[in-house]
Amino acid sequence: MIFRFTLLLAICSAVYAYTVRYPHERPGVPVSERWQKLTAKGQPLAPWAGPWACVLDKKNGLIWEVKTDNESIHDGYWSYSWFDGRAGQANLGDCYFESERCDTLDLIRRANQEAQCGVSNWRLPSAEELQSLLYYQGKTGDALIDKGFFPHTKHGDYWSGQAQQPLTSSFRHLGYGALAVNFGTGETLALPYRNAAFVRLVSQLD
Amino acid sequence: MSIYKGNLFWVLLHLGAIVIVVINLLTGLRIASVSRPLWQSISAILPQGLIHPLHFTSGILLIVLVIGYIGWRLLTRGQRPKPVKPQALNFHRLVIRSGYLIFFGAMLSGLLAYFSLAPALVVAVHYYCALGIICYLLLHGGGYFVHYGMAAIKRILWPSRQLSPVSLGLLLLTFLLAGLGLQLSGKAAHVLLVAKVPLSQLIHIDGKADEAVWRQAETVDVLTQGGANFDNGQTRIRVQVVENGIEAFFHISWDDPTKSLKHLPLLKTQSGWQVEQQGFYNFDETRYYEDKLAVMVSNQCQAGGAGTVHLGPKPLADKPANWHGKGYHYSQDGAIRDLWHWKAVRTNNMILADDNYIGPPDKVRPGSRRYSAGYLQDGKESGAYVMNWRWYKPDVITPKRLPKSPELLTPYQQDNSDGLSWVIPWFDYQPYQAEHDNYPVGTRMPSVMYRSNRFEGDRADVRAFARWHQGRWSLELSRKLDTGSEYDVPLRHGVCLWVSAFDQSQVAHTRHALPIQLEFSGA
Repeated sequence: MIFRFTLLLAICSAVYAYTVRYPHERPGVPVSERWQKLTAKGQPLAPWAGPWACVLDKKNGLIWEVKTDNESIHDGYWSYSWFDGRAGQANLGDCYFESERCDTLDLIRRANQEAQCGVSNWRLPSAEELQSLLYYQGKTGDALIDKGFFPHTKHGDYWSGQAQQPLTSSFRHLGYGALAVNFGTGETLALPYRNAAFVRLVSQLD
Repeated sequence: MSIYKGNLFWVLLHLGAIVIVVINLLTGLRIASVSRPLWQSISAILPQGLIHPLHFTSGILLIVLVIGYIGWRLLTRGQRPKPVKPQALNFHRLVIRSGYLIFFGAMLSGLLAYFSLAPALVVAVHYYCALGIICYLLLHGGGYFVHYGMAAIKRILWPSRQLSPVSLGLLLLTFLLAGLGLQLSGKAAHVLLVAKVPLSQLIHIDGKADEAVWRQAETVDVLTQGGANFDNGQTRIRVQVVENGIEAFFHISWDDPTKSLKHLPLLKTQSGWQVEQQGFYNFDETRYYEDKLAVMVSNQCQAGGAGTVHLGPKPLADKPANWHGKGYHYSQDGAIRDLWHWKAVRTNNMILADDNYIGPPDKVRPGSRRYSAGYLQDGKESGAYVMNWRWYKPDVITPKRLPKSPELLTPYQQDNSDGLSWVIPWFDYQPYQAEHDNYPVGTRMPSVMYRSNRFEGDRADVRAFARWHQGRWSLELSRKLDTGSEYDVPLRHGVCLWVSAFDQSQVAHTRHALPIQLEFSGA
């Protein structure tokens, strides 16, 4: 009887030891093969860490600006007309950081002065580079981008640096404009320079 | 051991009882772990996933087995040898007799809880009976094993081959009863008659519910339990629904002694601004959170949340574990369940409920710390509430905005701030600058901001407004019967509802087993 009692005790102890050995699981940090968060000083961050200012595209060797909602120059609400200092239309977008209204050159100038993430050669992306951000597996109603890395992205047009594009349909009479990628629909279309569209700057990885 | 216990009927019944009691116990402990985190320490041996149907089914089967056992005892009374002198109450007999009491208590309290008829004491009885069953299994099973060794095991595994006509009849009857019980339990619901009101009848979504229609509308009262902060975890939720052919109107009220609007407020400390919380980091805040109410609308009516409640830290093998260890909401049949989430601060001031849904598990997104499985929001065209911190950290945060004038925070420093909206008026605040941050240690600031308009689009389909008065929330909601959205469930005859109240808690809501099934008048 003592043996059987000991056996019973041993079984109970083994069950208890098993529960101690395997406590309930905690979430593990998943790895993104393509995206790497960077701090404002350019230091890499784990996927869940923050705040982050830029995202490194490991696949294409690009560093992307991350939009915010903190009313800095990177705020995702600000819009810009397309202007490169020669072509385009200056100061027809909406932002709070310029005394006049905003254009793409204003953001590029301010971002390069700021050297966010250690980058001082920010530029407008090509349409192809912007299209590479399109992501169709987001949550319901999300903009077509991986919002875990690119928050505050709007369902709207984002300027590319590709200007001198002939305008079509109702914009035909305005002549030429620049290509923009719409993150609500995924379409790429030429828009008049005067349009107020969003901007996400990019830089080539050195 | 009694000589009749090699009987085939008894052996089958006993084996069935062992399996069913173990299932019942393990599923019950997993369910208990949602409200009693202590049980998460044995999570490794508890089942995960869709636990409630298993618990309910095994509970019904246990009741049927007990009925079968009582029947067998009665019908074979004459066949049992009568003791010459009264038997002494030995250890095994004492344990078995105690077991009768414990199992009776567990089954009766379980039945009452299933039908939302169990006051707090009965819910406690159910829990403590479960603990009693653990002791019973050790003392009864362990006791026989220690006393008789393998002979006891043989006796419960190897029956005689004889099956008397009485036993055979009882066996068939037990199976029949089991089938009937499961069939009936699948159809049980709190039926709520939905009266049709004329289109000319105006119903204001103002939380007052002072229109005549509410005095005439039928009411369903559901005693929900298991929520954090409520008295004994329980609150009685009263539901009324009317419709006018285009829209449905809901009046839902529930007891909540405290009006909780302090939603993750910011507190100035020696080291900077801090988010007041005690469980937010694990997405399970139960102290500094707004009151809420959730309504789930589903074409599926299975007890226990229409098959959307998957308990345990990691119910999906190929998806991340959850932070609080409680579980996930998602559907497995590909269909969506509509979920309206009224929030006392974030959406009440928008006169909306957050229109969400529960669908199949979402894909894993490496950039997001919180994986919410099938609990997702309908899409929106614009509008948002945002929190007043740049990046959440448990220790110190940087606010996005500060008041233009320190006086704006004065009302929030009082003990009784229930009369305030606890929403930051955007234009009374300005972007954070360290040189403007001269607030003394101990200053409290709200953290919910409306940056733009209220929600617009699919996420704004449910209008809602609630008032709190003398320990009770009164909420009115309205939604089109059919929005046409693939993320909404049309409101029609036979559709089922579940309601859950949250008392200053993020996820620890009350719950009930059986659905409230809508019966449209004239349908």
